[in-house]
Amino acid sequence: MAATTLAAPAPTQAGPSIRKKPTSIRRFWPQYLAISPFYLLFLVFGLVPIVFSLYISFHDWDGVGPMKYVGLQQYTYLLNDPRFWNAVENTFIIWFMSTVPMVFFALLLAFLLHQSIRFKGFYRVAYFLPNVTSMVAMAIVFGSVFSDSFGLVNSALTALHLDAIPWLSSDWGIKTTISVMVIWRFTGYNAIIFLAGLQAISPDLYDAARVDGAGLWRTFSRITVPLLRPVILFVVITSTIGGLGLFTEPQVLLTESGGPNEAGMTIVLYQYNQAFTQFDFGYGSAIGWALFVIAGLFAVINWRLVRERNSLAGNVGGRTGLLRGRRKNRGNH
Amino acid sequence: MEQVSRRTFLAGALGMAGLVAAGALSGCAPSVSVSADPDVLTLWYWNLSIADSLLAQARKGIPGTGRRLATDKIGGNFDVKLRTSLAGQAYIPDVSALNSNVATYFPIEDQFLDMNELGAGRYRDQYLDWKLALGVTSTGRQCFWPMDTGPTALWYRRDVWDKAGLDSDPDAVTAAMTDWDAWIETGKQLRKNADASIIINAQQAYNAVLSASAERYFAKDGTRLYDKDGSAVRKAWDVAVQAGKAHITSKAYTDTEKNSSLSAGHTVSNVEAVWWGPQLQAAAPHQSGTWGVAHQPGPPGNNGGSFLTIPKTSKDPEAAFALITWLTSPENQVVTYQESSLFPSTPASFGSIRPDAPNKFCGGQPITRTFVEAAKEVPTTFISPYESTVGDGVNLELTNIETQGKDPERAWDDAMARADRQLKKKGLL
Repeated sequence: MAATTLAAPAPTQAGPSIRKKPTSIRRFWPQYLAISPFYLLFLVFGLVPIVFSLYISFHDWDGVGPMKYVGLQQYTYLLNDPRFWNAVENTFIIWFMSTVPMVFFALLLAFLLHQSIRFKGFYRVAYFLPNVTSMVAMAIVFGSVFSDSFGLVNSALTALHLDAIPWLSSDWGIKTTISVMVIWRFTGYNAIIFLAGLQAISPDLYDAARVDGAGLWRTFSRITVPLLRPVILFVVITSTIGGLGLFTEPQVLLTESGGPNEAGMTIVLYQYNQAFTQFDFGYGSAIGWALFVIAGLFAVINWRLVRERNSLAGNVGGRTGLLRGRRKNRGNH
Repeated sequence: MEQVSRRTFLAGALGMAGLVAAGALSGCAPSVSVSADPDVLTLWYWNLSIADSLLAQARKGIPGTGRRLATDKIGGNFDVKLRTSLAGQAYIPDVSALNSNVATYFPIEDQFLDMNELGAGRYRDQYLDWKLALGVTSTGRQCFWPMDTGPTALWYRRDVWDKAGLDSDPDAVTAAMTDWDAWIETGKQLRKNADASIIINAQQAYNAVLSASAERYFAKDGTRLYDKDGSAVRKAWDVAVQAGKAHITSKAYTDTEKNSSLSAGHTVSNVEAVWWGPQLQAAAPHQSGTWGVAHQPGPPGNNGGSFLTIPKTSKDPEAAFALITWLTSPENQVVTYQESSLFPSTPASFGSIRPDAPNKFCGGQPITRTFVEAAKEVPTTFISPYESTVGDGVNLELTNIETQGKDPERAWDDAMARADRQLKKKGLL
């Protein structure tokens, strides 16, 4: 079906009635043809599902039977659904608990890796490894390490005569465990991005600072951090996108139920739960669009912050953030 | 100029070609069946759900028909894939396996054929009544045909029973726990004398009681039963809450926790289906010889077991039904049991699955006999498609009580409020 919509524009453009405008299209058609695969694929696998999900969100549909138009009912239910708001709250708490330490550690790691040390290549690979490790395998490892009665962490705590913490069954325990998983997985990845940013800073500045007698901390806070600002913003924005779309970690750690008290239920996990285990596709789509609105709000805040504080470099980062944020969320449907 | 016009020509030709292709695509509908070959029926199943040797035979020719079988082993989310095909009315298998969540297909039962119309009557008495009943939709159509079953019993460790000063003989264990109150008392003794849990978690206790009950969440006509005073759901809930309160559960919820708890000897008993044996053996191989199986308190239950179904678009429903009855015949269920350890749904198979063979992991006890006895006693019940709408919340609140010490009455009220809200949304309240 999609092929009809795809092929349609070409013959109309080729028609003799419209003469003036299409000349550029005609002249550059090999170029248009060359870039078309992405747009065609995006149309079929991106745009159509996005528009369709908006359409479904105004319907009641079990995925197979007939659709029933329900107007804004899915959205009014959503606004009064405590499970949804719990998921929103969880998502933001986990996002905050993971992003702040992650950015800090990543920056620190990058700074250390940037020093003249031995085995640089080895460290870079080592720190990047968590990012490419299978999440399912990692969930088993984390499940064992943070196990309430048999975990390494609790064994260590009791050995130190501290109380064991119910990592996988208390509200804050679950959120902490998920945050640690996110930190573990993305710190190295972001450190590599920071490192690229660091390498772009001219060594002259460091030399000048050294000549002026600046210490390590002063060099870091007065030269590295300010010059890395666009990169830091980029990392924060991508982490926000990842954080709002958090799904794999809680799903593999706690299954679709979200754990006791639904303390690990994130927005996307709830969306998945409603669409693919309850087969309520209308509501699943509504949740997706609610997430889009939330992500859009964040994108605007990001953009504002960047535009006001960073006149030049940051602006670019902010825009890409805006676009990426939207795409990511639509991709979730 | 000539250069440009050639390009124009090419662009036009390309556009025309695209248009023709698009017309051809939208003109002829996509294949409804997975295979276009009229002699081939396609079956969807998942790994280990059907014996490979039987499928190999059917690939050469489905007995009693002139057709061959093609099989697709569907990995990942089976339900989503099948539903996607049904939604698109394209590439639908001619026969499909379905898991124990078969009730979630009742609302779209018009997608499947009623096997009563294909001559199911002739085969009915070969199968366990309660298993056949699970494949009957709310409107009385037999859209889903029995494959294997999962009768449940009480697994327990003899050595710990001995240590706690309890008689560890299977018959004595069965006799000592005729109801769930007695089970809780035994649990308390295990806790006191051996510091061990009688069950993995409170949710497990709840589901063990409920899956042995004739009454469940809803009546066949959709009437709510779970919220009535003295309902089966409330009774099962009370057993689970009491077990939690008496500290006789292990509070293990993730798979790693469950396995560790068994392996470390924190949990020394569980109520679970026959298929749990191999899992237990993998989790605690060093406990070989110490386990045993007794009948669970009250009537036995069923957990798991799959079905076969014929989508209405099936190329040849008669041949599909012939395949189904052949795959699930008493003789072939014996083959399936031997190859994949799937417990039969045909009582005639029970004599041939060596019920009296000693089980090494269970100290030589012939445990299959216990499950055969259980399979015959499972009560007939109706599983509603909307059980998880209510049950997920009930199970969640049980976890909250057990792991976070939530007040049981508040938890029950929360579970009911959540059920009401979600049923109202589905237009069922």
